[in-house]
Amino acid sequence: MSWNLFKGTMHQRRKPLFWFSFSLVAYSWMMVWFWPQMGGAEYAELAESMPPEMIALFGDAELSLASLGGYFQTEYLGLMWMVIVAAALIGYAAKMIAGEVNGGTMELLLSQPLSRSKFILTRMAGLVLQVLLLSAATFVPIQILGPGYDIELTAKVFWLLFGLGSLLMLAIGSFAFMVSALSRDGGRPTTLTSAVIAGMWIASFLADVSDFADALDPFNLLSYWEPGKVINNGALATNAWWVYAGVSVVCLVIAYIGFMRRDVA
Amino acid sequence: MRKESTHVSAVIETKGMSKFYGKHRGVIDLDLSVGRGETYGFLGPNGAGKTTTIRCLLSMLKMTHGEARVLGEAVTLDGAALRQRIGYIPGEVFMYEKETGRWMLDYISGFRGGKGASETELIERLEFDPSRKIRELSKGNKQKLALIIGLMHDPELLILDEPTSGLDPLNQDVVFDIIEERVKEGATLFLSSHILSEVERVCERVGIIREGRLVADENMHELLARRLRELTVKFADGVDASTLGGMPSVEDVVSIDANTLTATVTGEAVDGLIKHLAAHSLTDVTLQHASLEDVFMEFYRDDAHKDSADSKGGDAS
Repeated sequence: MSWNLFKGTMHQRRKPLFWFSFSLVAYSWMMVWFWPQMGGAEYAELAESMPPEMIALFGDAELSLASLGGYFQTEYLGLMWMVIVAAALIGYAAKMIAGEVNGGTMELLLSQPLSRSKFILTRMAGLVLQVLLLSAATFVPIQILGPGYDIELTAKVFWLLFGLGSLLMLAIGSFAFMVSALSRDGGRPTTLTSAVIAGMWIASFLADVSDFADALDPFNLLSYWEPGKVINNGALATNAWWVYAGVSVVCLVIAYIGFMRRDVA
Repeated sequence: MRKESTHVSAVIETKGMSKFYGKHRGVIDLDLSVGRGETYGFLGPNGAGKTTTIRCLLSMLKMTHGEARVLGEAVTLDGAALRQRIGYIPGEVFMYEKETGRWMLDYISGFRGGKGASETELIERLEFDPSRKIRELSKGNKQKLALIIGLMHDPELLILDEPTSGLDPLNQDVVFDIIEERVKEGATLFLSSHILSEVERVCERVGIIREGRLVADENMHELLARRLRELTVKFADGVDASTLGGMPSVEDVVSIDANTLTATVTGEAVDGLIKHLAAHSLTDVTLQHASLEDVFMEFYRDDAHKDSADSKGGDAS
């Protein structure tokens, strides 16, 4: 890893990273703040009056929207949170490889004594750091501010959310990173990864309203993302860890191999 | 056609180096040898394969066939130590637009283990203001920054791709003064350009690339000496073009006035020409060596003629 490249990368990403983190902190705080108003009987009544398709659209049909887990999944972690973190990570991945090739700055960097392997491993380290920062920006405010608004998450739930959320982000970021490492057009990682995530989100929605679409679940990263169940039950299916970790590793390995063999100018 | 470098150790050496972009030609079977301390001009029009060659040497592009060695080491895609000894100035300068020149210089220095020994001197000589953001810089000032980045660590090998692009004549002169100084200090120069006067000024050897193939690789002075010369002869008495007509290697004979003829002399015809002219009464003779531009155009004109003839042949068949 190149410490100089790492510092430079973080310096260049400081503004987007700040604003995405700030948005997540503010959003988490807002969700915590709203919970006392949203968690009562009236909210439960409103939630129950919604058609199952609409509930499925925002989260999980099996989850009570009036529960703390249902509230967080439906209103935040199942939709807007994914949009924010996906935008942050896809933006990073697209800019840091394909964007550098397309913009011509890769030629400048790789004409210096910087090996390709150091370059891509450093950029991967940058991805991991961003994932951890975004995860912290999401879950730490809930944990710290929650007690003031009748939200008490155990340390286990916090770490499960932090860990699983980080791995989901890493899987999304790694996929975008892989596309970026294999293409020279800065727009392709953004378009392709966004399309894949949108497709998964639609597949999740369809799986909740149609038995036929259940067959897609094993291939759908988002079907393993069940923060509501983690919050309510303090546990989650073990295979979620393996799926996210496996996708991340495979994508990063392909990105590494592809980048080591490609033309970069 | 190609001459082996007279220097013992080759700083740049390629054997059968080819690069294709899919079906499209980059360079084909390129055999280059540039010796230590040599100044090599790499000429060719846009799209001939100059930048592709450089990018292959710097391992930014993966060679399709062949091999290359730079500074004695085989060029590999992951090679980094090698580039510590190379200063590269790209043909098109792309930098991080939101950052300042100072940031760029420090960032690049960070990859090379510290501030470049010549950084301050180059900033002063090129009158560059590093405090300004790159997006605010003119093309010429971006080029100056690229030059400082490429030269500030006093590399052993300078690979320069159109280094004065965008610079005014005054700064072009400063840049070539700096390059000449580096060469005197022992650096090897590989200069890709289509500004022939630049190449003529600093290079002792020149390679000409056409459609991806090296069509000439010769000592600059020998190349110029052997090639075109512009002849102007003033006779004491009236003459016509037939006076020089029919002589081998004398072409394009034109009668300027009743006493003056001009012609183009090619090859090794000078001795015979002078002896032929000695039989006449002359008032003036000028024999001007061709510029590199003339030589360059000669190569391309010959190819164009050949292509044209091939094309006609093809039509006929």
